[in-house]
Amino acid sequence: MSNCHSTSAPSQPVSLRVRERIPLLALAGQPNVGKSTLFNFLTGLNQHVGNWPGKTVERREGSFSINGCEYGIVDLPGTYSLTANSPEEVITREFILRERPDLVIAIVNAANLERSLYLVAELISLDTPLAVILNMMDVARQEGFRIEPEVLEAALGVPVIPMTATHATGMQAFYQAVQEILDGGRIFTPRLPEIRADHRATLDEILNHIHGYVPSPYPENWVALKLLEGDTEITHLLQNNLPPEKWEAVYDLLRQHDDALLAIASGRYEWIGRLVRAAVVHPRIGQISLTKQLDRWAVHPFWGLVILAGILGLVFWLTFTIGSPVQGWLDAQIVGGLAGLANQLLAEAPFWIRSLIVDGVIGGVGAVMTFLPIMIIFFAVFGLLEDMGYMARAAFVMDNFMHIMGLHGKSFLPLFLGFGCNVPAILGTRVIDSKPARFLTILIAPLVPCTARIAVVAFLAPVFFGSNAIFVSWGLVLASMFTLVLSGALLNRVIFKGQRSAFIMEMPLYHVPDSRTIGLLIWQRSMSFLKKAGTTILGMALVIWALSMLPNGDLNESYLVQFGKWIEPVGRWMGFDWRLTVALITSFPAKENAVATLGVLFGSSPEAALAQTLTSTFSTASALAFLVVTMLFIPCMATVAVIRQETNSWGWTLLNILLLLVISIAAGAGVYHLALFIGL
Amino acid sequence: MLKQLINEIRAGGTLETSILAARLGTTPQLVEAMLEHLQRSGLIEAYVNCGDGCLGCGLQDACRKTPGTIRLWQSK
Repeated sequence: MSNCHSTSAPSQPVSLRVRERIPLLALAGQPNVGKSTLFNFLTGLNQHVGNWPGKTVERREGSFSINGCEYGIVDLPGTYSLTANSPEEVITREFILRERPDLVIAIVNAANLERSLYLVAELISLDTPLAVILNMMDVARQEGFRIEPEVLEAALGVPVIPMTATHATGMQAFYQAVQEILDGGRIFTPRLPEIRADHRATLDEILNHIHGYVPSPYPENWVALKLLEGDTEITHLLQNNLPPEKWEAVYDLLRQHDDALLAIASGRYEWIGRLVRAAVVHPRIGQISLTKQLDRWAVHPFWGLVILAGILGLVFWLTFTIGSPVQGWLDAQIVGGLAGLANQLLAEAPFWIRSLIVDGVIGGVGAVMTFLPIMIIFFAVFGLLEDMGYMARAAFVMDNFMHIMGLHGKSFLPLFLGFGCNVPAILGTRVIDSKPARFLTILIAPLVPCTARIAVVAFLAPVFFGSNAIFVSWGLVLASMFTLVLSGALLNRVIFKGQRSAFIMEMPLYHVPDSRTIGLLIWQRSMSFLKKAGTTILGMALVIWALSMLPNGDLNESYLVQFGKWIEPVGRWMGFDWRLTVALITSFPAKENAVATLGVLFGSSPEAALAQTLTSTFSTASALAFLVVTMLFIPCMATVAVIRQETNSWGWTLLNILLLLVISIAAGAGVYHLALFIGL
Repeated sequence: MLKQLINEIRAGGTLETSILAARLGTTPQLVEAMLEHLQRSGLIEAYVNCGDGCLGCGLQDACRKTPGTIRLWQSK
């Protein structure tokens, strides 16, 4: 292709070296701002992928044409700044300084200019021509931002091109801008970030010292700035190139101004703040004021807690009003029906095969599968609350409450995670610096009622307590929290001794929940639950069935009954027979196994669903004690494995199991005898 | 502004980005950008919920697809 580029000198202050060869463009930007999308769109198949010399970072380059004129383009690695913090940042700045592309195109996320513009603040300080692409304009519009590119262009002093690369919107303006810039048809005067006056004087002093000693291709101004920022590569470079007395003088200045790093970065953020104020309009005033009004109640130290408790009650009400009847229907019609069908089909099959299918698979896993409607309600309600922005408020309110109770903020976040699953709660304790404090937080983390425990309660509470199930479930969750807070308060007094840490939360604006997001969340979590039912729970159900069959197929002589009878004396303290005791123990691999085991032990029949059988078998006092123990019982196997991993100690792990065993048995026995005392 | 932000983190307590932004005379988005900058610079560290793995959890796949919004920052 012939060269069709003008060779006339550019008229802008930043010299554009339009070359005899095809012009070279460099795409720079933070990760995930759409750089690669634009690169792929521009180059199509005309691209080559390799590695940067001496690095394992991918190098992508290619070419494209505009009106018959060819341009080379390099997709630089995603970087947040030009400081030598990572190989990507070194590659980017070395390429720009050494290869001197004809135009650097900085891509920024229009929906988050505050984050994206920091790299621009650095790029604009180099003497390489710069243009800014405001990508993701569609996302910015969806999120309610109105951006004025011409205002941003005037404030930056470099060309600004709005674009939505994923839809190829703004490409014509981009092509036109590139041609005009490279042909010198657009004049720009970059407006650079300022640094504080005292540091400006230091910068000038450093410049005096290093003048004439900075090796090519590094600009002296930029090197002086990077020295003040404490850039290790540039510091070594200057140390090797300056005469000793000059280096000593520079080093003294750097030592005296070790806060310059923050001052320079602050200057850039103030510059970004000014740009955003000038060019971005946040029209969602109504939404912000609605958020503020709602937050007066939602994050209030007292009313916030009342609202949270009310929402928890509402979740249980929905569960028992909608979920439980569906669950009961599934249990009676589907599980019971399947059991009846399997009995008929396998009438001629050996007894153990029929028992394996009916009692082991259908009785065990089937019982757990009927949880699904209850789980879907949990997932839907919590997904809805999360999507509309409430969950962050719940965390904020709970943290305030725990501070009142004396629990340290550092313990709170991991504990809050435990509502989903205790495993991330244990992993989350890594945030706690002090080893004893961390270990003690690990000790109490399994007291947080996880989704699986709440689901077991949601299944069993209506079975035993009918219309009072909502109050029983609500009370059980609050009682668990009370136990946790008491333990936490004790922990704080003994270990943290008033130490404080910052807990900074990003509060999203309230917004109308997106049904697709919630639908996707329900689908993903339901699939995960079903996967768990088909693996861990099925496995455990089969083990329980096998133990109930061996050695001779008679349940009364089985290993399971022998084991159950052996530990039954402990269960009796809490009003349990051997079956409830075994069900509790088998909840160790996964909490839902408690129901699966009851399903295996009581079998599935078309005549009576599991719920009916359980109601007629156990007293209210035993049932209440069983639910209390379930909420406080030893952590599940996955949690124990993580406790072992995080504490790196079997001693601590066993102590944890022992502690929860003691707490749960004591609470179960207490509740059972109290219930008997009041005549339940 | 960054120095002031670090001082706020060192002071401790439960803060919310819009309150912090009002104290610093800027926007919550800029506060979030600065917090991430300080984290990258190694001056503060952040803990993001369900971050580096929920090994063994049956719901881990689903949780990872919905990253949390709760973050705890502390100065080093």
